[in-house]
Amino acid sequence: MNKKLWTLLALILAFVLVLGACNGEGEKSDGKDSPAKDNENEEVVDTGSFPLNVENEGDVIKGGTLKVALVNDSPFQGIFSSVLYEDAYDSDIMDFASNLIFETDGDFLLTKDGIAGMEVDQDNNKVKITIKDGVKWSDGEPLKIEDLMQPYLIIGHPDYTGVRYDVDFQNIVGAVEYHDGKADAISGLKKVDEKTLEISFNKLSPAIFSSGDGLWSYAEPSHILKDIPVKDLLESDAVRKNIVTLGAFKFDKIVPGESVQFVKNENYWKGAPKLDSVLVKTVPSTSISVALQTGEYHMTANTFSTDKYLEIKDFDNLTVLGRNELYYQYIGFKLGKYDKDKSEVVMNADAKMGDVKLRQAMGYAIDVEQVSEVYYNNLRERATSLIPPVFKSFYDDSLEGYTYDVEKANALLDEAGYKDVDGDGLREDKKGKPLEIKFATMSGGDIAEDIASFYMQNWKDVGLNVTLSTGRTIEFNSFYDKIEADDPEVDIFMAAWGTGTNPSPSGLYSKTAQYNFSRYTSEKLEGILAAIDSPEAFDAEYRAGKFREWQEYMSENAPIIPTQYRLELRPINKSVKNYDIDYADKIDWNEVELISEDPAKSSK
Amino acid sequence: MWKTIIRRILVMIPQLLVLSLLIFIMAKFMPGDPFTGMVTPDTDPARIEELRQQAGFYDPWYQQYATWMMNAVQGDFGKSYTYKVAVADLIGDRALNTLWLSLVSVFLLYLIAIPLGVLAGRYQNTFLDKTVVLYSFISYAIPVFVLALIFLFLFGYKLQWFPTSGTVDIKYENGSLGYIWSKFYHLLLPAITYAVLGTTGVIQYLRTEVIDAKSQDYVRTARSKGIPLNKVYSRHIFRNSLLPIAAFLGFTITGLLGGSIFIETIFGYPGMGQLFIQSISGRDYSVITALVMLYGFLTLLGSLLSDIIMSIVDPRIRID
Repeated sequence: MNKKLWTLLALILAFVLVLGACNGEGEKSDGKDSPAKDNENEEVVDTGSFPLNVENEGDVIKGGTLKVALVNDSPFQGIFSSVLYEDAYDSDIMDFASNLIFETDGDFLLTKDGIAGMEVDQDNNKVKITIKDGVKWSDGEPLKIEDLMQPYLIIGHPDYTGVRYDVDFQNIVGAVEYHDGKADAISGLKKVDEKTLEISFNKLSPAIFSSGDGLWSYAEPSHILKDIPVKDLLESDAVRKNIVTLGAFKFDKIVPGESVQFVKNENYWKGAPKLDSVLVKTVPSTSISVALQTGEYHMTANTFSTDKYLEIKDFDNLTVLGRNELYYQYIGFKLGKYDKDKSEVVMNADAKMGDVKLRQAMGYAIDVEQVSEVYYNNLRERATSLIPPVFKSFYDDSLEGYTYDVEKANALLDEAGYKDVDGDGLREDKKGKPLEIKFATMSGGDIAEDIASFYMQNWKDVGLNVTLSTGRTIEFNSFYDKIEADDPEVDIFMAAWGTGTNPSPSGLYSKTAQYNFSRYTSEKLEGILAAIDSPEAFDAEYRAGKFREWQEYMSENAPIIPTQYRLELRPINKSVKNYDIDYADKIDWNEVELISEDPAKSSK
Repeated sequence: MWKTIIRRILVMIPQLLVLSLLIFIMAKFMPGDPFTGMVTPDTDPARIEELRQQAGFYDPWYQQYATWMMNAVQGDFGKSYTYKVAVADLIGDRALNTLWLSLVSVFLLYLIAIPLGVLAGRYQNTFLDKTVVLYSFISYAIPVFVLALIFLFLFGYKLQWFPTSGTVDIKYENGSLGYIWSKFYHLLLPAITYAVLGTTGVIQYLRTEVIDAKSQDYVRTARSKGIPLNKVYSRHIFRNSLLPIAAFLGFTITGLLGGSIFIETIFGYPGMGQLFIQSISGRDYSVITALVMLYGFLTLLGSLLSDIIMSIVDPRIRID
C-alpha cells in the first residue's frame, strides 16, 4: 500500500512539474495564436533586412539527407502530377522532382536555358518547342516529344475533371474538338521531328512568353501515362505512388498525407545532385517554430507564416530568407453587377460608391502602414499598385498609391458634397440622407476583426459611417458567395489575389471577367487591357508602357485600392551550405549541399 | 432479448434515413461548394461552372439526394472532392489510425483511472484521496490543446522521447516489425495526452460508487463472515462500482472512431476528427454526409451495446 502511495505521489509531482513548465512555455503557445496583440510593443522588424540567399561557413559533407518540414495542419493530398494536383502543398513537394521544361527570368518570362526552348512565330500563331539532347526520365527512359504532348492530351480529355481545361487551353487549335470527343487527337499539336513540337494557336498574345495562351510548361511521362485511362489517372499509382519525374530528385517512398522520401536522380539533366536524399515531412503549424529551434529540420518546403516570425527571429541556428510574394491585398468597391446572361459587367450609375472622390478619400483615410507595423510586424508593406513589385519591368515604381492623409480625404469628401448635415459627426450623402457603407471582410486568424475595426475607425475619423456587412467578419465560403453574387449587403470589401506568374490583368479586370468583383469597366480600361495583350505588345517596351498606363489608370479611378503586399519567409538552418530564393536566379536542387547531416540546434 | 435487439436494429433504418435526408439538405444549405476555394486569377470561371454542372450541383436537391442514396445503398459513397479518392477508402485509412489511437488511449485511461478511483474511494478523506481529487479537477480544467502542446514540446522536442508528428517513420517497410513498432511509438504520446485528460469522469464515478458501496449491507455481511478487507474491495465492491462505467461502455466503444481534432492537429496525426472538420470547411459534401451517417450509426449502435452490456453485468436489468 505504501508503495502504491509513493507511485501516486511521484505521478502527482511529475504533473505539478509539467504545470510549472506550462507557465514558462505557456506564454509561448499563447503568443502563437495571437502574435499581433502580444507584440504591439515589441521591436519592429526591418523588412529590408531579409536576404534572398545564404552561404554558410563550413566544410561540406559528402551526400547527406536534407530534412524538410512541410508546414501543414492537415495531411497533404498526394497527387503528384502537374496536370492533376490542386493543392499548393502537393506542388511544394513536387518542387524536388519537378517536370518543368522551361526556365524563367525575373519577370517570369520563359528563357531558353531549360530542358526546352521556345520560338514564337507571331505571324502564323505558331510556337516551336525544341528539347535538349540527352534528357532522361528518372527511370532512365529518354525524354520524347510525346512526353511534351501528353499533358495536353490529359487536360483536354473529355474525362478530365480538373480546372486546367480553361479558356486559355481552348486557344489551342483543335482542343475543343478533342474535349468534345469529336477528334482523337488535338490537331494543333504537331510532332515535327524527334526533338521539335509545333503548337498552333487560334491567336497569340505576349502572354505566351509567360506560359499563357494555353502553353503548358511541364512534361508528363507518356511511356507510363498513355496506357492509363484519364478517368482512372487520379487514383492510379503513377501519380500517387510510383512517380516518374525529370527533377533533381526522384520519389522513393511515400507515407500518404505525412511524408515523402526522395533520393537523388542520377539521370538529372543538369547533373546528379550533391545530396543523397531529401525527406519531406508534414509538421503542424503549432509546433513548427520549436521544430526549427531544436534542429529537427534543415528548412521548410513552403512559406513560413509571417505570424510566427517573432517566434523564430532570435534562433541562432537559422537564417531567415525573405522575398516578395506574388500577392496583393485590396479594398474593392462594388460599382455594378455581373450580367450572367450576357457574361459581362454592367455598371450601376447610381452605385453608392460611384463617386470616384469618395473612393479616393477612403483610400487616403486608411493608415495601412500602421496596420503593417502593428498587426504584421512590418512583414507586409503598403501596396502602391496592382502589379506586385516582383515583376520588375511591369511594376510602375513611380506610383505613390494611397498614402495616409486625413486632410486630403476630408477635402475630397467636402468637394464631392458628402457633408455632415445633421451635425452628428458623420457625413451624409450628397442628397443629405444618412450614408452607411457596408464593409465585407473575411474571418480568419485573430487579427481579422481587429484590422477591420481599425479601418472602420480610420473611416470614421473622416466622418464616414462604415459598418460590417452581416455585422461580423464573414467565413471564406460565404464571403465569396456574397461577392460573386453582388449581394446588396456589400458596398465595399477586403480581399486578396495571388497573381500567379502571368501578370496580364484581363482575367481580373476586363468587362467580361467574372472575377472583376468591383464590377468596374470603361472604354478606356478595355482599350488598355486589349493593348497589353495585343500583337503590338510583342514589343516588350510597348507592353511595359501599357502595363504602367493600366496601373496609373486603376490607381486614379480607384475601383479597387491595393492595400498590402506580403513577404514570404523561408528559414534555412545554418548547416545548409547554400540556398537561394530569388525568383530570377533560384538555386537548383542539384547544387544544394550540407555542412552536417543533423541540422544545428539553437542555443536560445 | 434477441427479439428486442433485432427490433432495435430495424428501427435504426428509418432513423438513419431521416438523418441522411437532414444532413444532405443541410450540407447543401451551406454557402459555397467544393469549387469555391479554387477562385484564383489562373482559374477560368467558366470551367468552374462546367465542373459544377458535371457534379450535378444544379440539379434539384431531391434528384441529387436520390442519386446519392441509390449509390450509398450499394456501398458507394462517391469520391472526395478534396482528396480525389473514393470516400470509403479515405475514411477507411483515417478510421484505422483513429481506431488504434483511441484503443490505446482508452486502455491507458482505464489503467490510470480505475486504480486512482478505487483507491480514492477506499481511503476517503485521506491525503491520497485529496490529491486524486485535485488531480482530477486539474485534468478536467486543462484544455486538451494546452496539455497536448506542452507534452509535445517537453517529451517530443526537448527530451526527444517521442516522435513529434505523423503516424509512422518513413524508413520502415510496410508491414514489418519495425513498422508496427513505429506506428505504436508514434501514437503513444497523443494517447497519453488523451488518457491523462480523460480520466475525470471515470475517477469520480468510481470514487463515489466505492464510497457508497462501503456502507452497503452486502459489504457488512462479507466483512462479518470474515472475508479480508482487501478481498472485499477487489471482489465485492469493485465489481459493483464498475456498473456506471459499464453503462457507458457501448458509447465508449463506438466513440473510438470519433477522433479528436485538437490531438490530431497538434500531433500531425491524420484521423477522423480532422477529416470531419476539414471536409466541412472545404465543403467536401460526399465526405461530410458519409461521416455524419457513420457517426449517426455508431451512436445508435452504442446505445444498443450499452443496454446489452448493462443487462449482462447487472442481472437486475433485463431488456425485453
